[in-house]
Order: sequence, then C-alpha cells, then structure tokens
Amino acid sequence: MTLIEGQTGIAEFTANELYARILDNEAIFILDVRNEDEFKRSPIEGQSNLTAVNIPYFEFLEDEDGSVARVPADREIMVVCAKEGSSQYVAELLAGHGYNARYLQGGFTSWGNFYDVRDVVNAAWGRIVQIARPARGDLSFAVISDGKMALIDPMRHTEVYLNLAAEAGATMTHLLDTHVHADHISGGPALATITGATYYVHAYDAIHPIDMLPATIAYTSLEDGQQFQVGQTTITVAWFPGHTLGQVNYRVDTPDGRSALFTGDGIFLRSFGRPDLGGKGEAWTPILYRSLTERLPKIVNDDTLILPAHFSTLDEGTAEGIFAAPYSEVRAHNDALQPRSEEEFTAYVLSHLPVFPPEYVEIKRVNIGLVEACDGKANELELGKNICALAG
Amino acid sequence: MANSFDQTLDVKGAKCPMPLVKSRKAIADLTVGQVLKVVATDRGSVADFQGWAKTAKNVELVAQETEQEGGQDLYVHYLKRTS
Repeated sequence: MTLIEGQTGIAEFTANELYARILDNEAIFILDVRNEDEFKRSPIEGQSNLTAVNIPYFEFLEDEDGSVARVPADREIMVVCAKEGSSQYVAELLAGHGYNARYLQGGFTSWGNFYDVRDVVNAAWGRIVQIARPARGDLSFAVISDGKMALIDPMRHTEVYLNLAAEAGATMTHLLDTHVHADHISGGPALATITGATYYVHAYDAIHPIDMLPATIAYTSLEDGQQFQVGQTTITVAWFPGHTLGQVNYRVDTPDGRSALFTGDGIFLRSFGRPDLGGKGEAWTPILYRSLTERLPKIVNDDTLILPAHFSTLDEGTAEGIFAAPYSEVRAHNDALQPRSEEEFTAYVLSHLPVFPPEYVEIKRVNIGLVEACDGKANELELGKNICALAG
Repeated sequence: MANSFDQTLDVKGAKCPMPLVKSRKAIADLTVGQVLKVVATDRGSVADFQGWAKTAKNVELVAQETEQEGGQDLYVHYLKRTS
C-alpha cells in the first residue's frame, strides 16, 4: 500500500479552486467517497452544473471493477472524502483505470473551513468586506475606515480576520456579534483575547436558553440605539428579538449618505431566522413578528443594503458570490416579509420549521463558554450547512 | 459482557482508508466463524466499519465499543468472518 502512504502522482485540487469553479457554474463531477450518512448530512452543494455522486471508498475495496464502472469516464472526476486519505486512494485507483481524477486537498474538512473574502463596498470612506464560509452558508463582515476595523459575526478561524486586518493596515476595534450563534462557533471572544478589541453581544443572549446558565466568557452588553464610531462610519445597534431574545441588527451609516444593515439571523435575503432554536418557538414567534413589522421599517429605507449572516443556496448571491441586496429587492423577494396578520405569521412559522439539529444546543454552550471545543470537536459540531432559516 | 475474539489488529494512528484496508486483509487470514478485534483511533472508523460490513459479503460487524486509553478515545470493532 505504498500508493497511499508515499507520494503519488495524482494531482490535488483545493477548496479555493472548487469554489471558483462552482461560482462560474462550470460542469463539475464530484465523486464523494465518504459513507452514505456523511454524504447525506453534508453534501458538497454547488449550482446547476455540479453533479455529486456517492460511492463509499469501501465499495471500491470490495468491488473495484463494479464501482469504477459506475463513474463516468468522459470527464474529470473530483474525488472527495472526509480527511483526504480515502479520496487520494480512490483517485489513484481511477487513474489506474485511465480516468482523469483529482482529489480534494484536506478533504471535506478543508471545504467546510474554506473562507472566501471579497469586497461588497469599496468607497472613498473605506470598505465593507464579506468573509464567507461557502460550505456552511455562513457570512461575516468587516467595516474598515481610516485604519479602524469592526467585525460583524466573525467565525472561529481567527487568522482569516487577522490577515484581513494586516492587509488593510487596520486595527480591530469592535467585535460585534449579532447574537449568540447556534450553528457555528464565534471567533469574537478569541479575537478579543488576541487583539484587545472589545467583544459585544446583547446580555439577553448571554444566558443559555435551554440550560438557563450564564455565560463565562468576557463580553460587553449592547443597548438598543447605542452607537459606535468606526473611522468615518457610524454603527447603530437595533435590538431585533425573535431568532434569539438578544438578537440585534447593526446599521452602518457612511459619509456618502448610504446605509447598510447587518441583519445577522434577523432577515436573510429570501427568508428569516427561525424563532425556535432557544426551545421557545411559540413564545418567541410573536416577538419576532413585532421585530419584523414594527422595528425593521424604522431602521431601513429602500436603498439600505441588507447583509445577512447566512444564505441557504448559492443562487441567493450575485454571480460574484456577494450575498447582499438593497432592502427594496429583499422585500419583494422575501416570502417572510409578505403582509400577514400575527395569526397568519405564527401559523406560517410553526408549519415551516426545519429539523432542530441537536448539536445546536451544544454550540451555544461553546459560544458562551459553558463548554470547550477543541479543533476536532468544533469541526464535528459545525459539519454541514447551517439550518437557521425557515424551510422554503 | 466482554466480546470474545480470535485475533487483534492494532490500527491506532492509521488514517482512512488504512484501518479498513488492513482489516480486510486480516479478515482474509481468519477461518470462517473467527472474530477479529480492530483497535482504531480514527473516529470516522465507526460509521465506515458499519457501512463496510453492509457492503462486504463475508464480514459481520458483531459489536463496536469506545474505550479510553491515556486520554485518547479508542474505537474498537469486532468483525466476524462469515464465509
């Protein structure tokens, strides 16, 4: 088995290349050799020209010829497994049968932990940068102006944000979580320790809603209407309870008279944050209704750029992978924002709740310091795409 | 109740797909009805051995256990050669 343990001539591909090809909607054939459960739980999703087929690597071990025959021979095969080894093995085996096959460097873990960084706004006053984790549908943002940087919903791979700050020549001043996340581990507390910047979250989210235990992490609480200066921009806190009790939106006003709203898990581009992840769906749904109908209209105008913390499918974004749209567009295309009475809204919400992932309770514990997660545990907790939106 | 076995295969530290590749080889050296105990450190081996046992014609997964050894989790699989 020197093929596996030694160097092979089989080429790799990176998560970066895969994402670029997905955004271009190139024809891609993914051969996913993980076991069926893992494939079903967290497939690699792309656009219309991506095909993903699951043939576990042990099927190649048991029936090499039969398994190889199930793989199309007329195109490039991109082989994926959990941690790289098995995909390398299968790619090698396919090459031996005359296939053009490559394997994903670092396996599915590297795809799940791949970050895509690009400008949403680049103006005289500064920039808004989107830092996305495409495999998870997670979005975070930086506001950079006059050498200062605020981060909104930074994720746990702190080096991505530290690199961005270094490249921009900016100092992190504000680490702003819109809420305590259930689907992924925040990078806010860790970045606060590293940089000395202040980590902010609303105090209502600093109590675990299921355990009823208080946070052990250091945080500074937020007030509705509180303002921060970041370079030439002003960031205003807008309490937006519903998805969580302490959910806030951050509105940034820039010197050119424009505004953007970081909505977290308030509204997304096509949906909105589910109100049941604290285990109190029936009690929190009316609160969410009032946030959507009473609070939201006061903090946006038609031109306000909406920048949410998640997407569900890639086609919510632009061809360049930017997940932002003016409020006028979001209002027209977001089914959640169609006029409804409170009774209609409640019925709609309670009939569109997706499965409650059990690990979401544990992730909230990690985010307020009740339990610790090493890198391996964090990877497992965060496997697969977020399920924070209502089902369409 | 402790599971009985005839041979032990240590694949601690081995990464996917080696635990399975080596187990497959070791099973071939057993006589029909004998049980192989495989000790792995790769957590992914739990689901993979279940899937493999369903796919392979001559293997039955008798039991799986998790043990602790020096602060590290061990994933133990008992595999019977059935034909």
